[in-house]
Amino acid sequence: MFVSRSMTRKVITVDQEAYIFEAQELMTRKNIRHLPVVDKANRLIGIVTDRDIRSALPYRFFKESFSETKKEKLSNLSVKDIMSKNPISISPTYTIQDALLVIQDSRVGALPVVDDDGKLTGIISVRDLLRAFTNVLGIGEPGTLLCILVEEKVGQLKKIVDAITKENISFGSVLVARYWDENKRAVFPYLLTQNVAHVKKKLEKLGFTLLDPMQWYLDQLPKHEVTAETPK
Amino acid sequence: MNKTGFLYDERYKLHETGHFHPEVPDRLPSVYNGIKKAGLLSKLVQIKACMPEMKWIETVHDKNYIQRFEAACSSGKTIFDSPDNQMCSVTYDTALLAVGGILAAVRQVMDGELNNAFCAVRPPGHHAEINRAMGFCYFNNIAIAARYIQKQWGIERVGIVDFDVHHGNGTQHIFEDDPTVFYYSIHQHPSFAYPGTGREFEYGKNLGYGYTKNSPVLPGQGDTEYKRLMQRDLFPAFAEFKPEVILVSAGFDAHVDDDMSDIKLSTEGFSWIVQKIVEMANTCAHGRLISVLEGGYSLRRLPELARNHVEILLNG
Ligand SMILES: [Zn+2]
Repeated sequence: MFVSRSMTRKVITVDQEAYIFEAQELMTRKNIRHLPVVDKANRLIGIVTDRDIRSALPYRFFKESFSETKKEKLSNLSVKDIMSKNPISISPTYTIQDALLVIQDSRVGALPVVDDDGKLTGIISVRDLLRAFTNVLGIGEPGTLLCILVEEKVGQLKKIVDAITKENISFGSVLVARYWDENKRAVFPYLLTQNVAHVKKKLEKLGFTLLDPMQWYLDQLPKHEVTAETPK
Repeated sequence: MNKTGFLYDERYKLHETGHFHPEVPDRLPSVYNGIKKAGLLSKLVQIKACMPEMKWIETVHDKNYIQRFEAACSSGKTIFDSPDNQMCSVTYDTALLAVGGILAAVRQVMDGELNNAFCAVRPPGHHAEINRAMGFCYFNNIAIAARYIQKQWGIERVGIVDFDVHHGNGTQHIFEDDPTVFYYSIHQHPSFAYPGTGREFEYGKNLGYGYTKNSPVLPGQGDTEYKRLMQRDLFPAFAEFKPEVILVSAGFDAHVDDDMSDIKLSTEGFSWIVQKIVEMANTCAHGRLISVLEGGYSLRRLPELARNHVEILLNG
């Protein structure tokens, strides 16, 4: 699960001397929101986003209420005037988990991927990460989610996995989540089958509690409420 | 009283699925006996299984897939495409007989010999994709019926209602580009149930955008929620689309006593659903309705559910 597997390799870049209109046109045409800025040797020197451009070009500008001189001044702006210099970047050997944490902390929408020589080798966006996690969850494949409550002690997961494997059922994924009762965990195996009635009974016989997923959802709801910060 | 067809054939029991598999041959006698014990058999026009012309199956499935299925079956394989699809040496033939019987029922309805029909077949069909067997299904019975109706009788608009508790991924995908077949499905929410598709925001693709509608139902819900969602999502959509024939993927696995799902529909809940679909068919489709069995695994409940189903078809 390394970044190099999930990143976009054919990166569309821009020269620092390009006019911001050119950068904007490029982003629109390629349907992207981040343009890494590189030098002649393909070394990363900055990044410019669609938001950078929008804040450099006031909305009113398009309404032609600006004087011609002001317009000209703005249209002479080049990428180097508005780009973020020394942007946060990561190495291709970072894991997907690393990238996720960096993106979460830095609040950027994409991370340029740079090798040991400082050369740009790719870019990984929130969209790429989402795709990677859809894959991890296994939900691209048909299957059924179980929700099992287990005691927090060694060997519980193995019992579950063994019981399911014995039924010849393949796993799409297994997630483990905290439960309101500190001594318990909720385990969510995503099974690549429609036929789960028998294995459910078997797990119950082994002493596991099968949770109604809605009950779990409702129990968790108030505790997990996070208020999103809105940028001022 | 309507002229209602009833497709049933002992040969549909020949498809064997092995140990601990819920899609058992006994499902069919449950259906049959429920109808028989209620004294309804004499009121129904009985239809027997027959072999279909392959060209109709090829309107939905790739030739290559059909050959692959036949070869897997005749070479004695016990699993095809996915571990859920357990089979025996006559599974291929049984699947053909299911299609053939349904097409016979369709023909009688379209030619005006019958008002409507219920087809009690195995194996079921709505999970079967163009190229892949899935979720106990091999040939997509309902999709083949829809194409047959369009090609043979020049019908422009076919409406499919799928109330099996699982989303009919196969049917949706087959018609997702097609504005002439409206696919509506109500099922347990895909995050909690097989096959993981049929989300609220899947509306079809390209020209077919707007001709697919899904109503996912959260676990634990039952009659009230089904009524609310069908009133909100299905009735207005079909009133506008005006299907000329209605096909029903009739799965009974949303019943509270069926352990294939966490949905809690009552026996009366099913009757309400079927009654409403029949009324829609009366309004826009001259009553033409062909209902095909999909899931439903509670051998205890299938008799009453099947009995009520055909009773409503008979009474219109
Ligand atoms: Zn089903």
